[in-house]
Amino acid sequence: MTRFQRWALALTLPAAVLAIGLYVFPILQVLALSFLEPKPGFGNYVSLFGNAAIGRVVRTTVIVSVLTTAITVVLAYVVAFAIVQMRRELRRVALFLVMVPFWISVLVRAFSWITILRRNGVLNTALTQTGLISEPLDLVYNQFGVIIGMVHYMMPFAILLLVANLGDIDRRIIQAARSLGAQPATVFWRVWLPLSLPGISIASLFTIIFSLGFLVTPAILGAGRVLMIAEYISVQISSTLRWGVATALSTLMLVAVGILVAIAMRHPAMRAAFGGGRA
Amino acid sequence: MSVNRFSKDSAEIALEKFRTGKLDRRAFLTAMAGLGLAVAIRPGSASAAANEIVICNWGGAALEAFQKAYGAPFTAATGMPVSVDGAGPSTGAIRAMVESKNVIWDVTDGGMVDAVVLGTGGFVEPIDYSIVDKSLVGPDMTAEFGICNYTFANVLAYDVKKTGGKVPAGWADFFDLEKFPGKRTMCKWIQGQLESVLLADGVKPEDMYPLDVDRAFKKLEPLLPQIIFWEGGAQSQQLFRDGEVVMGNVWHTRANLLRKENPEFTWTWAQQLLFSSAWSVPKGNPAGKKVFDFINSSLQPEGQVTLLRLMGNGPSNPKALDLMTDADKAVYPLAPENVATALKIQAAYYAENEAELQNRFLDFISR
Repeated sequence: MTRFQRWALALTLPAAVLAIGLYVFPILQVLALSFLEPKPGFGNYVSLFGNAAIGRVVRTTVIVSVLTTAITVVLAYVVAFAIVQMRRELRRVALFLVMVPFWISVLVRAFSWITILRRNGVLNTALTQTGLISEPLDLVYNQFGVIIGMVHYMMPFAILLLVANLGDIDRRIIQAARSLGAQPATVFWRVWLPLSLPGISIASLFTIIFSLGFLVTPAILGAGRVLMIAEYISVQISSTLRWGVATALSTLMLVAVGILVAIAMRHPAMRAAFGGGRA
Repeated sequence: MSVNRFSKDSAEIALEKFRTGKLDRRAFLTAMAGLGLAVAIRPGSASAAANEIVICNWGGAALEAFQKAYGAPFTAATGMPVSVDGAGPSTGAIRAMVESKNVIWDVTDGGMVDAVVLGTGGFVEPIDYSIVDKSLVGPDMTAEFGICNYTFANVLAYDVKKTGGKVPAGWADFFDLEKFPGKRTMCKWIQGQLESVLLADGVKPEDMYPLDVDRAFKKLEPLLPQIIFWEGGAQSQQLFRDGEVVMGNVWHTRANLLRKENPEFTWTWAQQLLFSSAWSVPKGNPAGKKVFDFINSSLQPEGQVTLLRLMGNGPSNPKALDLMTDADKAVYPLAPENVATALKIQAAYYAENEAELQNRFLDFISR
C-alpha cells in the first residue's frame, strides 16, 4: 500500500465507524430481535412461511414492484433518450423539470394523485365530459392507483441513472453505424440499446429495491386494498406490537434484496455499471 | 472523536442548566436533539425533571386544545408548566421508549385498549388511585393502567345531498346498497368496524362479544368493492369533501367538523360505537408521581368542556353535562339523547384479541 492509499483509507475510517455504529449495529439488533421475540427460537420464521396472509402480502408486494419497475424503466428510458439528444440549454431545463418532483413530499404527491384520479377527479371529469366514457373509472384506491403513484415517484431516479449512462455512450460509434448505412431503427436496436444495458439494469435494480419498501404511497392510494410488506411491518411494530414477526419479515426482505443484488452482480453489464468500466 | 467529546460536553452543560432549573425540559430536549444526543444522555433523576409535565398526543389541532383544556388549568393551579408533544404515542413508540430507558413523556393519550395492552406488557405505571379520584369519571372508565380522559364514538356520517334527503336509521342502512347506492368508507383499523357489520346483520348489542368474525366477514365480503378504507381522520373527512362516498363509519369529531364546513354532511347517533380514550403513564416517566396530580386535574369538568368545544372530544366526567349548552350536547356522545342506542366497545376484548384481528382484517380487505 502506498502512502497515498493509506491516507485515502484513513479518510474513509470515520464514515465506516459511523456506518457500523448507526447502521450495521441496529440491523444486527433487529436480526437478534427476530430470534428472541416473543420467545427464543426460529418460531417467527416458521410462522412466516406457514402464514397465508403474509404470503399474500409478499405476492402483492412482488407484483406491484415488478410492474412498477417495468413501467418506470420503459418510460424513463424514453425520457432519458430524448434528454441526451437535446441541445445543452434545453437539456438543462429538461433535467430541472425531472428534478422538481424530488422536492415535493411523497405525501403531497400521493394526495395530488388522488385529486387527479378519483371518481370526481380531474381525469374522470374530463373523460366523462368529452363523452369518452359514461361511468367514471376506478383509477385509484386499488393496485392501479398505487402503481401510478409509485412509477411517478421512481421516474426521476431512473431517468437520472439512464441519462448518465446514455450520455456516456461514445457518439462516434453511432456515427460509424450511420456511415455504414444503418437505418435509425437499426442504430437504436443494435447500438443504443445494447450499449445502454448497464444503465437499464442498474435503473431496474434500483427501482425494484426501492419499490419493495414503499409505505406511504400504497397506504394512501391503495386505501386498505393494497397491503405491501412495509406497511405490514409498520402495523406489527407500532400497533400490534408483534416485533418478532416484524423483524423476521424485515430480515427476510433484507436477505431477498441482498440476493437480488448478488444475482445481478453476476451479470457483466451490472458489474460494469458498478465498477464504472466498459461492458 | 473530538467532535463527539465536544458535543458531549455541550450536552453536559445543557444537562447542568436543566438540573439547576435554568433550562426547561423542552429546551433541554431541543438542545439534545440538535446535538444528535437525544438517546445518549438523559436527565435520569426524576426530581430534576419534575418541574414540568409533558403530554404526548396525536398532534394537529389537539396540540393547542390539550394545552388549553388540560395544561392551562393545571399550570394555573400549581405553577407547573405543561407541554404537549404531538409525536403520537403509539403502543410501539411507548414500548421503544420504555425499553431503551429513554422516557420523555409523562402521560400519553391513547385508547383504553392501548392502556390495557401496555399494562399487560409492563410498559406503563399503574394509575395511582390514592391521588387520582376515581369518582370524577363515569362508570367503566377506570382501569388499572388507564383512566378515561375523554370519550369518542364511531358514527354513521352521511351526505344528505347524495342520500336524497333520506336519513339512514343505523348500520343496516349503511350496508344496504339498494336503499343507499354509492360508495362507503370504513376504517382500516379494526376497532368498531366489525361491530357495525354485525349490528347490520342483526346481532344484538348484548351478544356482540366475542365478535363473530366469520359472520362479519361473510356479510362484508360482497360489499368490499363499494368500500374505501381510511386510515387517518383527515382522510375520512376528505372522502366526503371529494364527493367520493355517500356514507362513512367515522369518528364523531370528524363528522362534526364536516357538518361545520358544510351542513349537507351530517351524522346520526343511532347505534353509535362508543369508545373510552385513556391517559397512560409510561414506566419511568420523568415527572414521577406528580403526573397523577395532573391527571386528577384533567378530570375536572371545566377543562373537559373546553376540550369538547375545541375538538368535540366528549368529557369523561359526568358533571360536565351540567356546564353544557344544547350545542355542546349535540356533539357529546354521552348526552342522554345521543347515547340511547350506543354500543360500548369492549376494551378488554380488544386488549386480548386486537393483534390477531387487525391482521386478519387487513388480510381480508386487501384480497
